[in-house]
Amino acid sequence: MTDKAIPAEADITRLTGHRFPGGFYTVAHWENFLLTECTGAELLPDGMVHPVALFHIPIIGAGTSIAEMFALGQAESDLSIMIESYDWETFLPLREEIRYCVSGGITSAQRCQNEQGKLYDRIQFCFEVHTPEETLAARTTITWHYTRNTL
Amino acid sequence: MSFAVGDPIPEWVMASVSPERMCTMAAILRDPNPIHWDRNAVNSLPLGLGKRTINQGPLGLSYMINMLHAWGGPDCIRRIVMRFPQVVLDGERVVARGEICVLREEQGVTLADCNIRLEHAERGVLLEGTATVVLPRAIPLMSSLPN
Repeated sequence: MTDKAIPAEADITRLTGHRFPGGFYTVAHWENFLLTECTGAELLPDGMVHPVALFHIPIIGAGTSIAEMFALGQAESDLSIMIESYDWETFLPLREEIRYCVSGGITSAQRCQNEQGKLYDRIQFCFEVHTPEETLAARTTITWHYTRNTL
Repeated sequence: MSFAVGDPIPEWVMASVSPERMCTMAAILRDPNPIHWDRNAVNSLPLGLGKRTINQGPLGLSYMINMLHAWGGPDCIRRIVMRFPQVVLDGERVVARGEICVLREEQGVTLADCNIRLEHAERGVLLEGTATVVLPRAIPLMSSLPN
């Protein structure tokens, strides 16, 4: 890996408040089948979607992508992102073939320093998933560390 | 059946983390990160992991979801907060475990706040966090019963 210039702190902090376009996401049966198989579980009853989908439904449904989220924080590479935490709240079970409305954005972006004195940028994304009846079904918060010159 | 603070959640075992499942997951997630499907990319990192692929964070989390579903039913989970202190590698045997920390009533349902984690026999805790789970109705709270 080659060293890459660390972005200006202001370029990171100004990401707070960034909104994704928003949009819709429908989980097809085939997708739920494959996702569930990946987890090692049996399909859930009554068309319920395995909660592991709470990672990608919000991201893709909100009109963004993992690649764009990496790029927004000026990730040095795909390998430089570390997960701080995922926070998934479920208010209703998600089901196959329902067209969910998704919104999301960046709620926090700040420069930090670890115990070894290395700089990293901590960026927090928050998404909401609503049913067609506009009931909040799920809320997810992704917190990633964009490490700098550590690889 | 009744529940009490300190009760363990029956463990859930993933006997061998599959690199093929990581590839399927990467495609579904549109995840461009090669650490999930390219062993050489992982080998090139200064992490000493060798030619192994790294499991997606959500997949490791899903093993704990499966544990909670097996225990409380398919719609029992209200919230999961997860941290990722160590990576999960292909071929590893990992075990999801947890225990009840708090029992409480809220809007007519019984909730259990649990500590949960994903463990490896040699490397210890790989993922750790908390979950809030709805318990079936008509189950007395041991902590609320007279001694």
